[in-house]
Amino acid sequence: MSDVATEKSMAPKRQRMMDMVLFIGGLKEESAIPPSKVNEEIENLKRDVTPLTESILEFPDAYLAEFIGVAQRTRMVEQIHNPSVLPEAVASLESALTKIDSEAVSGLLVLLRNSLNRTESTDEAPEGGVAGDIEAILNPLPELISKIDSTIGEYEETARSNAEAATIKLTSLIDTLENLTSDMESDADATLDGFQKLGAKTRYGPFLRAAAQLKRGKREGRIDDELFLQLLTANLLTELRRGVIMFILNKVGSRTVPQLGELIKTHPSEVQKVIVSMFERGEVEMVGLDGDSPIFARVMTDTPGTTLVLKQIIQQLRGMLGSLDESLRTSTESMLGALDRHLERLVLLGAYEEASLAETLNELRESTDSATEAVLSSPTSDTSEELQLLVSAGLEAFTRFRLKIALEKGPNLVSDTNVYGEKLDPEVYKTMMNSYLDNELERGTMLILIRELGAMSAKDLAEKTKIPQDRIFSHLLRMKRDELLLLAGEEHGYVLYDVPRTLSEAEIATKTVSDLAFQLASARIELESVLGDFKAENIGKLATSLETFSKARDKLEKVTVKGSVIAESVLKGVEDKVRSAVAMTYRTRAKLPSTRSKVTIEELMDVDVPSVLEEYRSQMGYAPLLGFGTIEWEQSKCLGCKSCEIDCPEDAIELKPVIDVQEFFELSEESMKNLPVNKALFYQTVRNLATKKPVKRIRLANEAPGFGTIEVDLWLCVGCRTCVRRCPGPENGALELVLKWNLPEVVKQITSET
Amino acid sequence: MKRKVADNKSAVLVCTCGKQLQLDYELIKNAVSKMKLAASVTVHDLVCQEEGLAKISELVDKHGGRVVIAACTNQKIQPRIDEQLELNGKGSTQLQYVNIREHSAWVHENQEEATRKAIDMIRGVLARSAGSTPRQVEKKNIPSHVTVVGGGIAGIEAALSLSNLGYEVTLIELEEELGGHVILLPVVAPTGKSGKEILTGRLDALQKNKGINVMTKTRVKFVEGEMGSFIVHYTTDENENEKTIETSAIVMATGFREFKPTMMDEYRYGKNPDVLTQFELSCMLSEGALARPSDGEEVKDIVMVQCVGSRDEEYKRDCSKLCCTFAIDNSLSIIEKVPDAKIRVIYMDIRVPFEHEMIYKESRDKGVDYIRGRISRVWETDGKTRVQFYDSLLNQYFEVTPDLVVLSSAILPPEGTRELSETLGYLVEDDGHIKELYGKLRRNETRRRGVIAVGGVTRPQFVFEAVTDAQAGALMLHTELQGGSIEGVARGAVLNVDDCVGCSLCAQQCPRGVPLMIEQTDKEEEDEEQKFIFIASIDTLLCHACGVCQSLCPTGATQLNFLTNEQLWSEIEATLEGAGPDYPITLCFYCEECSVSTIDIVGTRKMNYPASTRLIPVPCAGRVSIIDILKALESGASTVMIAACETDRCHIGGTGNEIAQVQVDVAREILTAIGWKGERVDMFRMFSAEPERFTTAINEMVKRSKELGPTPVHQGTSGKWMEASK
Repeated sequence: MSDVATEKSMAPKRQRMMDMVLFIGGLKEESAIPPSKVNEEIENLKRDVTPLTESILEFPDAYLAEFIGVAQRTRMVEQIHNPSVLPEAVASLESALTKIDSEAVSGLLVLLRNSLNRTESTDEAPEGGVAGDIEAILNPLPELISKIDSTIGEYEETARSNAEAATIKLTSLIDTLENLTSDMESDADATLDGFQKLGAKTRYGPFLRAAAQLKRGKREGRIDDELFLQLLTANLLTELRRGVIMFILNKVGSRTVPQLGELIKTHPSEVQKVIVSMFERGEVEMVGLDGDSPIFARVMTDTPGTTLVLKQIIQQLRGMLGSLDESLRTSTESMLGALDRHLERLVLLGAYEEASLAETLNELRESTDSATEAVLSSPTSDTSEELQLLVSAGLEAFTRFRLKIALEKGPNLVSDTNVYGEKLDPEVYKTMMNSYLDNELERGTMLILIRELGAMSAKDLAEKTKIPQDRIFSHLLRMKRDELLLLAGEEHGYVLYDVPRTLSEAEIATKTVSDLAFQLASARIELESVLGDFKAENIGKLATSLETFSKARDKLEKVTVKGSVIAESVLKGVEDKVRSAVAMTYRTRAKLPSTRSKVTIEELMDVDVPSVLEEYRSQMGYAPLLGFGTIEWEQSKCLGCKSCEIDCPEDAIELKPVIDVQEFFELSEESMKNLPVNKALFYQTVRNLATKKPVKRIRLANEAPGFGTIEVDLWLCVGCRTCVRRCPGPENGALELVLKWNLPEVVKQITSET
Repeated sequence: MKRKVADNKSAVLVCTCGKQLQLDYELIKNAVSKMKLAASVTVHDLVCQEEGLAKISELVDKHGGRVVIAACTNQKIQPRIDEQLELNGKGSTQLQYVNIREHSAWVHENQEEATRKAIDMIRGVLARSAGSTPRQVEKKNIPSHVTVVGGGIAGIEAALSLSNLGYEVTLIELEEELGGHVILLPVVAPTGKSGKEILTGRLDALQKNKGINVMTKTRVKFVEGEMGSFIVHYTTDENENEKTIETSAIVMATGFREFKPTMMDEYRYGKNPDVLTQFELSCMLSEGALARPSDGEEVKDIVMVQCVGSRDEEYKRDCSKLCCTFAIDNSLSIIEKVPDAKIRVIYMDIRVPFEHEMIYKESRDKGVDYIRGRISRVWETDGKTRVQFYDSLLNQYFEVTPDLVVLSSAILPPEGTRELSETLGYLVEDDGHIKELYGKLRRNETRRRGVIAVGGVTRPQFVFEAVTDAQAGALMLHTELQGGSIEGVARGAVLNVDDCVGCSLCAQQCPRGVPLMIEQTDKEEEDEEQKFIFIASIDTLLCHACGVCQSLCPTGATQLNFLTNEQLWSEIEATLEGAGPDYPITLCFYCEECSVSTIDIVGTRKMNYPASTRLIPVPCAGRVSIIDILKALESGASTVMIAACETDRCHIGGTGNEIAQVQVDVAREILTAIGWKGERVDMFRMFSAEPERFTTAINEMVKRSKELGPTPVHQGTSGKWMEASK
């Protein structure tokens, strides 16, 4: 259901090209306002904003200075374990320093870099006593589990108190609704207004739209009174109820149908009827059972990372069970039981404040990992690294159940038959298991590598594992679907995959602060340059740079180390200033016309693709797509043979059954001479017969070999020149690849198809 | 551009058909002798008799083979003349014929007009004759080897027949054993013999025959090449590596597949072991092991269900033809073994063709119960199979507890038919069977030359039908392969490689896939533009001479060696000499398949139509290009029509008539666009059983020529578009 959003969006290639078109020059034209008015507005803005900028520009360094102090005091950096956090943070700070000079930034950089060097050097040393005693490793688990229990308890408490507050709102909402529905007919318009007021509180999109439509329909006379009343009392009321249900699920928490019925004072069967459509719309989902009744919750776009991690820990522990001795197994089983319950509670909660759970879960995760390794390494002493990797991969795969089930069930299928009397051929089973084991082991290896080394792309993985990249790719897709891996951004055009990770407080702090340091560095340069040259054209830059400062400030307010916010006074001190600066800039901007250069479609006609690509790449960091251009076709040289269409690897070129007869009359003597004799004779005969020059193109009902007009789909064309090379037309053929991008054509296609 | 027009003179021999034809021969003689391409004119009373034939011999000698014979239909007279000339050791390839009897004298009342038409057509054919060239006998040797795919009854029979005709044969079978479905039939109607008995003799013959290489457990992957040099790629169960056989032709005898109705829940097939298909019962019976599959108990009570999947919109729409007979065969075998068995056959209609009616009667006499109705459902209680059915004659529901439920399930085309079609080039019908070239006259042949289809793969067939089919197919191949040394007068398309630009229109549109496009890799290296350079290659001996390639070729590189563009264009011009608005002429191109027979029958029936018509024969309607049509108008024709075979009935390979249709459609559109009336051009489908199709068509075109009045050519406005647009 979470795919709904992506389906509606543009295809990536199209989106990138669209971005590029918009980048090259906005296509909207706006009416101009007199320059004197513009100047006046700009002067006003300059007067108001300039006094604020000093403290805005200063606050990042002040914050960073305090942050460094706190970090050193609390030895925060030592608590960073996630392998990707430090390198990324260092990289961000380094890029920040390429833009600006800042003592604070370089101070933080030194701190992090030292720590990074330390961890890198220790990484090489073998970790002692991995094998360890499993019992000892599992020892701290009960305590961790009870910690999780209490954290979840706190979550639930928060959720409950939130729910209570929401319930009060809900009660008034329901009361109003009851009042409204008791007498809907006497004044239908008033009822609709009442509904709309309620709807505004629930903020349920489908209702809001339906209500607006109904109102407009009535106003414009498309809906008569009778129908209006009917729609109001049936359809619209239903949508409103759905809104109330969403309100409950959002604010009060997941509920069953009877509970919902009680809350909104409606019969459960009514609720049931209403909720089915919401289910279909992908707004609610079932998250558990209460007795026999399903519990519904709103659909979340992302499951919190910590929930996923807990799910994985449980699987890993369960996979280990068989290798444990009696007493240890019993205790682990009871722990598993507790964890299962906790997981269920987390699922019911849906969204929650992840950070407070992260630390505990990470510890739990580490213990589980060590236990897995201990289980694995106890019997053998083989030191071959590759073998160990392979075995751990196997164990990794085993903990994911799939392998376990296959190993358990497979032999049965060979020796016995299933209910249909079918039997598995031992040979088939063997090859099946071989490829299956290969797959699972490869996936296990990949997971271990990603977990140890941080997010990786298919290319990195192929290099590291020596597994062919296409196999890697299919494994990645599979594991992504199984929620074992998540997308973690892009690197050199390759998608990065990572295991679900939760960042600890220290990690979050480091990451956020260094990311923001980089953003603020860019924003600072921009802001300074705009202030130095305060012009109407630069107002967009002013707004975005100020906005960056404002948002960064908001984010920093949420960053905590050991539970407390850093440099609170600095942040508070600048809060009002930066907000009003942003607001003033936007207000002025709204009064001014677009400051983008105005470009008409016609002007885009001769855009030179290579240079645009270059310009675009230098500013955006990447180019949309290489290898495209415009295929130009000359009818006078075309034999209508369709060879281009047949040979095109992308199905981008097509011979359409359309004849441009007019063109027959435009051919020069020269091109007639170059044409194959019968083609020329055909054109000549048509001319000999004609009593008038045709005015329209001929559209044929069917394909006609030898006739037609070439059309190229610029979206599909990859500029491979195959058609150009294949064309048997006279001279160099009827087709030519021009390294110009026919933007008007592209724009037309974008707009027509989205 | 100026064309070089051939001016070779020909002798003209005009026949009076025993002084029976109402034509003015004096006028003809006078007129023809004035034609500059006529070397001499002879009027003869009986060209088809000995003295006439002797006269032809004489004229052939005197005029280097260029003789125009104006007589009755060449369909009748030409074989006789050819035979006679061959006996005398003379070539007949340059003789041309004008039909002044069926196409003129017999169909027009007005003698003067008919005579005028005959003269015009003689003038036209003289022009055609002037450009003719003698054609030679050509030879070609190919491996005398045929590959038969499928080792069922049809495949075995085809292999044996081909071997008897002197071919080496490779017989490829997917399964371990030969014999397909037939070997497992307990009895084959109406012979009374078991499938094994029917096959024993053939299997023995196969074993003894050293010329047949049998490969079992072998699967054909794909095929490359053309007739005379096919390469079959195959794999075996033992060896996954692809191997190849070189072969000259391929016989598709892959049989059929019985429908397994697992998805039809009402029958419980695949869920209840006592529910079988008819063929599964056949196997059980021929193994002599009739027992309930669920517990091995004896079988006393059987319900057979007909039309499972057949005559069903969702599975197979039509009747599977064989299942009724199979059910009766199996019933009789059961009664033979278990005389007191109770057999109920639940049917929609019993369809038993030929003498199978006898066994149907026999089964009724022996107590098989035929119930007209349908099964409602099958279910199980207490380990017993229960069946509820509806008897539509009694309008009553019944429930029984049979030991077996036997489903007469549909006969479907074998798996892999479509996959192989991709490289073997045959067409596949909508129902998945291989499409035969032409259902009436070209059975067993497929669209691809050198690939024939026999047995169940073309449609469900009884055993004896599959056998005759296989024999026919073998003979069909023999006429093509001629024992490996193909010899004949090369009559077909000839490619002038130098003119070919490699557009591949011929290869795309040839109805029989004869032209091949060959990439010229060495030339590509020299090319600065890095062009892909292709050149066509046409084996004239393989060509069916329809002329589609010629009609589409933009350069004139490929032309029929008996009807070049120049020949046809000068014939059009000569035939239409003097055509004008006062006596508007309708020009008709007709194909020498369906159309010639239709028009000849119109003649023999002496059905009248206007004499303001001129007829030009072409081998196939696909030979007529848009240029030919426009040239006819340019030369003064008022209307132009093409007479072609009926849709889907193109005798040349299925698409020649459709190519012609495209030329006509495009010509009409273009004419309309350039200020003409598109209706001046049209195409009509002929069918010799309905001669009125031709008279209706030609009357219509004559009517149009009168109604539409003078053409722009007549009015002198054609070509004046520049003035018009000013």
